[in-house]
Amino acid sequence: METIKSYLEAMFASMPNTTEVRKAKSELLQMMEDKYNELIADGQSENAAVGTVISEFGNLDELADDLGLKEAVEEAKGKEVEAPRRHVILEEVQDFLSCRTKKALFLALGVLLCIISPTLPIMFDAGNLENVGAAMMFVVVALGVGSIVFSSFLDADWKFLEKELCRIDINTANYVKEKRKSFESVRALCITIGVVLCVICWVPCIVSPGNIGPIMLFVLVGIGVFLIVYANKISSGFDMLMRLNDVETISGNYIMPEQKPVKYKNKTAETIVAVYWPTVTCLYLIISFLTFQWHLTWIIWPIAGVAHRAVVINCREDEF
Amino acid sequence: MVEISSDVIRGYNDTMILSILMKAPSYGYEISKQIRSISDEKYVIKETTLYSAFTRMEKNGYIESFTADPDPEGKGKKRTYYRITEAGLAYYKEKCEEWDLTKEVVERFIDAGATQS
Repeated sequence: METIKSYLEAMFASMPNTTEVRKAKSELLQMMEDKYNELIADGQSENAAVGTVISEFGNLDELADDLGLKEAVEEAKGKEVEAPRRHVILEEVQDFLSCRTKKALFLALGVLLCIISPTLPIMFDAGNLENVGAAMMFVVVALGVGSIVFSSFLDADWKFLEKELCRIDINTANYVKEKRKSFESVRALCITIGVVLCVICWVPCIVSPGNIGPIMLFVLVGIGVFLIVYANKISSGFDMLMRLNDVETISGNYIMPEQKPVKYKNKTAETIVAVYWPTVTCLYLIISFLTFQWHLTWIIWPIAGVAHRAVVINCREDEF
Repeated sequence: MVEISSDVIRGYNDTMILSILMKAPSYGYEISKQIRSISDEKYVIKETTLYSAFTRMEKNGYIESFTADPDPEGKGKKRTYYRITEAGLAYYKEKCEEWDLTKEVVERFIDAGATQS
């Protein structure tokens, strides 16, 4: 089946990235998949099935005529000439990604240092050491700010990705797509741990007496934010690369999944999703103000978060 | 072995698809399978031909598309189904008459050729 997919991808490589083309591609893939599955079910070998499917596919020229794609193809080619795009090669993309990881690390580290800096005055609270604590806090803040500034210089060479029109070829796009997919689980883990740490940061304050609680609070928040910033920075690097190709480039179907317009079952479903978070916010504030149990009402958020997923899945039109 | 030339049959792909859709709404692969079996495996329609016929006829209002699950229990993957419209029915009848005429005319020459040789 993978062979068929890449065959189709290659056939469509010269087509512009429009809705019609994407629809044509997914419909054709569905037909080929149906045929392939039936041939396999009839006892054909995988290779024979792929061969039959591809030989009976036809050619895209007749399709281009009927879909009015000939003009679209010409148009896209014309645009390419008008605004030449810088072709970013695979090696550059790899360099950019490793640079992005470094940047994410220094940025997150800087934020972490700034957040945990107040723990030093707390630690040196006793006796005459107060000044030492304050001085050390400023040193740590300075280190943190330095780290953030340094991180912003790190990708100075790559600013052209945002400023100039660029494009990446199919192989590179596939590479980025794979990398992005494999990072997705790491990112989910980092964000989950990060959020959990931020949510439970007040626990040490309750269980342990004295200075330990406040210190742990800052440390937990610091680590939580570190993980969130680090993961998001790296993943936004992938998104940046994926966005280089758009409707005007001739490079097949590499639009990011999130950019696909979301379809809802009907108007009501769309409204429900739209008012969901404002409603939850209102509920949270009303309940909290009425009961004054702020230490308990935060539980609304994780529950609402889980419920949101269920609501969205039920309101969305299934993809086909 | 003689094969059907795609140039000749092109004008009648729409007719075949419409005749299948007249019986029941159907989707891409199912339609291509029916064309193959009704034609006794003598004509296999290409995927691109089929899809471009769908888009063309939908644009002309001869067919309508909707999504549905081929599995009656709703466990399968959704497919884009097509159903024939009133305009499609009228177009089908028109194409049938056209074919009768075409066949009649062409056959006269075919017969003439056969008797001569």
